[in-house]
Formats: sequence, structure tokens, C-alpha cells
Amino acid sequence: MWLVSLRDLQWRRRRFLIAVVATALVFAMSLLMAGADAGLTSETRRIVDVVGADRWLVARGTSGPFTTVTAIPADAADQLGRLPGVRRADPLVIFHSTLRRASGLKDVNVIGYRPGGLGGPPVSTGRAPAATGELVADTRLGLPIGRTVDIGGRPLRVVGTADGVTYYFGGPTVFLSIADAQGLAFRGQPLAMTVVTKGVPQAVPAALQAMTPAQVRTDLDRPSKNGKATIQFLNVLLWLVAAGIIASIVYLSVLERLRDFAVFKATGASSSALYGGLALQAVLLSVTAALVATGLAHVLAPGFPFALELTAVAVLRLLLIALVVGLVASLVGLRRAVAVDPALAFGGG
Amino acid sequence: MSDLTVSGLTVEYSSGGYAARPVDGFTLDVPSGRLVLLRGASGCGKTTVLSVLAGILTPAAGTVRFGDVEVTALKGHALTQYRRHTVGVVFQAFNLVPSLSASENVQAPLRAAGTRPGAARQRAEALLAQVGLADRMSHRPGDLSGGQQQRVAIARALAHDPQLVLADEPTAHLDYIQVEGVLRLLRSLAGPGRIVVVATHDERLSPLADRVVEMTPMAAGEERPPEGLAYRPGQVIFEQGDEGDLVYVVEDGEVEIVRRLADGGEELLSRMGPGTYFGELAPLFGLRRSATARAVAPTTLTAYTIRTFRERNQDVWG
Repeated sequence: MWLVSLRDLQWRRRRFLIAVVATALVFAMSLLMAGADAGLTSETRRIVDVVGADRWLVARGTSGPFTTVTAIPADAADQLGRLPGVRRADPLVIFHSTLRRASGLKDVNVIGYRPGGLGGPPVSTGRAPAATGELVADTRLGLPIGRTVDIGGRPLRVVGTADGVTYYFGGPTVFLSIADAQGLAFRGQPLAMTVVTKGVPQAVPAALQAMTPAQVRTDLDRPSKNGKATIQFLNVLLWLVAAGIIASIVYLSVLERLRDFAVFKATGASSSALYGGLALQAVLLSVTAALVATGLAHVLAPGFPFALELTAVAVLRLLLIALVVGLVASLVGLRRAVAVDPALAFGGG
Repeated sequence: MSDLTVSGLTVEYSSGGYAARPVDGFTLDVPSGRLVLLRGASGCGKTTVLSVLAGILTPAAGTVRFGDVEVTALKGHALTQYRRHTVGVVFQAFNLVPSLSASENVQAPLRAAGTRPGAARQRAEALLAQVGLADRMSHRPGDLSGGQQQRVAIARALAHDPQLVLADEPTAHLDYIQVEGVLRLLRSLAGPGRIVVVATHDERLSPLADRVVEMTPMAAGEERPPEGLAYRPGQVIFEQGDEGDLVYVVEDGEVEIVRRLADGGEELLSRMGPGTYFGELAPLFGLRRSATARAVAPTTLTAYTIRTFRERNQDVWG
């Protein structure tokens, strides 16, 4: 029956083309949302990895270095650096601010670090800040090297750029010297949000708590948890919409081919053969739509305000979902096709 | 060499809530190699008989035997195998799949039965060549004439080289030029090891047949004088589904006309008193009785043949 199904697809190609386009749009939205989900997870992992610390020490009782508003003395880093098991310790100042430029304000994440110490940017062009008054900006800000920008009323000159250093739904990050960051966040007081270490301290001062990179990622992910859950929920709805489109097209096709099915049954075609043909048709539609959606998503992804990750795994998962969607959708038409009375074949034209 | 034997075939189904019995006690014996014509007007049950022979419709009573196989007892896989391998059907209006080429239409039942694509294609090409369509293999039904489509339908029916070929109104959609080719083809199919049963209302097919079975009830029987009849209360004058050749005039008493429902009940259509007549449609149009007539009280009727009745009622019947 697969030949019959293929020919029917050709025969009603305009309708099926419309169905493929509509389903592809739905699948593309699904893929983009999956890309957003993966992008959020990935940027969290990336920013924590950029710092490259083995432990993050924060004030006891606080949630984590990116979400806390409780500062600790920056010189705790010197004390921690002498602890057994620690090879290096540096303070970081982490906060959210706005960057003023000619086109207006732009929200940015700020990481102040000790030049030459832990927490420096992965510079892709230019160099890392070596003194106060310099910054490295994420490339998404589109700032050229040499441009002076204003953060919190403090002029800072761009000396380098870094790729893919974002968090909180693609918020770009700027890296400053810790002195500039302390000037902005604490009016110059020698404070920090966290002290990061290379090596694992065997004992931690009573006022502090040590967090592993995994715990820091979890803490950083928490604000976007609801957003991710919403994305996943919408994704399921989109799959259902896709199934609905395919099912309605297949069902319509079945209704128009009732006499054909009656003839097939009258000439000894089994119900499983009929189902096989319908399932093939629905799966072909669905998988073709998924392939089109993959291309469409890659075209649309750069237009999103934050980096989407369209991974091979996501594409394979979409194809698998398309397969399931097609099979489920074909069940709707199957019931009608199998119920056809073969005596209908004897009806006149 | 399989013979076809139909015994006491009765088919009932629900039609608009009423119980319809288009075939009642039909019997037929056909030796192998014959072409039989089931001839009759629309609604006389000839397509219904074909449906039963094809294993598509289950009769209310009676048996169909083809060779050693009791067709009416087949179920499930055995029935599928019978439909697939023993019987080939040429449907009215061709019923070709519009998206498939002529060759693919013939291949379809072969492929559904698991025949390899190459073998199915070869078989389809051979059959289409046999029906004179070697140069139309890749044409879709929409690009073929009615006669060519009918020949594709015949080739499809022959896909499994069936021993029983059924054709439902094979000339219904053809002009007289196309009819000739199709008739010749149908005639050539009936031969050793194969029976062809054709349902038609087309008189032109009669000379082709080895046997013609008239399915339409005899509209008017032999002429005879009017006859007085007396009925007791509850006595049936005629049954729904009976063949009918008389018109009745109520002289005295009362008759109720009832129609049998699909659920076994009855619906009263009318009551006929003295001076009224009933039962004229069946003999006039060659139909079966569409309702049952039953005496309600001691009743006296006069029964007329349709010709006599018309002569006596010129004012009503012209």
C-alpha cells in the first residue's frame, strides 16, 4: 500500500505542501524553543566554566554568587589563598547594571575580577583589562575596541571582546577590574560577592560557605526555571498542534478516498495494509515538515535576542517526535478507513 | 474446475429504518466455464447477489458454494484469501484509484497480497496487454476513455487469475463504441476453470451469455380474468419483499398496509376500505412489494392483472 500512499501524496501535492509548510512552522517554533531552552542551560554552564573555579565561597546562608546581595570582605581571598588545598583565591564582584551608549541603555551583567586572577574573560579579540577604566564586552553588545562607554556614570574603554559570555536570558556580560566594579557596586569599599579558588579548601571560615560549580549553576538556573518549564509546556502544545494539522489532513484524505479503501478491502487488502499506507503518509508528511523546520529554525535563530542552541540532539529529537506525531495522527484516519464497508465499492459512480 | 452453487439466498438489511429484503430465496447453479447474466432493473437485487458472491455481504439465509468452498461460511483470514485469490470484481463506475497509473491500479491488489514489486509490474503489464492497453500503462484513469478505464478495471479483477469474475453493470458508463470491446473481453474471460457473472440491466449483453437469470419480478403475469378473494381477519394478502403481479380492489371489509421495520416491529402505513385499491406499483414497475397487506376484518377483494385494472380505470390511469 505504500505505493498507493506515495501516489496519493503526489496527487494531492498542493494540499500536502500546505500541510507541510504549516506543520514546519509549528515544528520550527518548537525547535527554536528547544534551542532557547538549551541556550539558557548552556550559557549558565559557560559562564561558570569561564571563571574556572573549583569552589565558590559566599556569605553563609546566601543562595549563591550570582543571586546574592550579601557581600563579603574582598581580602578574605588572601586568607583563603593560604588555606590547605587552595592553590589560588581571588575575589569577584558580580552584579547587574546598565550600559549607556548613544542608542540608549542596555542591561548588562558585570563581573569585576582581579586582573591576572581567576574570573577573567575568554578574550576573543583585543586583550583583557589590565587596569581600571578598561573593560571586555560580550560581542553581542557590538562594541568596537577603543569605544568608551558609560556604566553607572563611570567611563570605561573597551579593550577587548569575548564570545558567548551571557546569562539571565542572554544578558551580555562585561568584565572590569575589581576596583572599577567595587567603585560601581560598593562605592569603592573592598567588598566582593564571592571568592573563587583553584583547589578545594579543606576548611572554610565559619562566616562563609563553599559551593561547587554544579551548585553555582543550579543557583544561576533557578531564576529561569519557570521560563524553561513554560518553554517545555509550550513545546508539548506545539507538538499537539502539529499532530492536529497532520491528523486533519490525513483524515480529510481518508474521507475522500473511502471508495478506494472499500475497493482495496473488497479485493482482499488487510486492515494492517491500509494502516501501513496511512501511517506512511502521515509520517512522511510529519518528517518532511520536521526537516523543513530544521532549515527554517536555522534561518530564524540569529534573529533572536539571545543565543539559541540548535543542537543535533534537538534535531534528532524533533525527527523522533515527528515520527510519533505522524503515527498518532494516522490513527485518526485509520479508524475511519478500517470501518469502511467494502460493499461501498459496489456503489455506482 | 469449480462450479458455483447458490441456494435459497436471502439478504436483508435496514433501509431508512425499514427492513429491506432485496433478495429472497435466490437459487442458482453455474457450471465452470460459463458466463451468466443477472439481468434486471435497478433495485432488483442483482448487485446484492454479486456482493454475496464476492464475500463482501453476509446473507440472512442461504448458502453460496464455489467448488469445495462454502463462501458464506468464510470468516477472517480465509475470507480475505477468498476475496484476494478466488474472486475478481469489476466494479460499476470502474472504481479505479485516480492517483495511480493504469499499471499501478492493476498492481495494487497484487502488492496488497505481498507480491514483489517486479513480479507485480510484470503481471500488470501482461494483463493490460491482454486487454489491449499495452500503450496506456502509465496513463492515469483521468487520461483514459470510459472503455479504457473499464478494461483497466477488468485487468485489475484478473490480477490474481481468479476462478470467479464478477462484473457489476460493466457497460453502464460506456458509449456503444466502447461497449463492444468490453463485451468481447468479458466473453473471452469465461472459459475452462473460470465463471463470469455479470449483473446488468443492459439487454445487449444477453446474446453473450450462456445463461440469463431474470432478476426483475415478472411485472405482469399471464392475463386472467378478475378474481374475487376472501380473507379472514389477520390473514396476509401479500408480504413485503414478495414479487407481485396483481392489483387489489377492496369490495368489503378493511385492509391494513404495514411496513416491516429493521428492529422487527411494524409501521402502519394506511388502512384501505371499500372502493379503494392497493398493490399497483409492484406489477406496474416490476418491483417487489414494499409493504405487507393484511386483512383487518373479514374482507372481500377483487384481484386484477395490471392490464385489466388499467382498462377498467381509464379515468385514473389514462
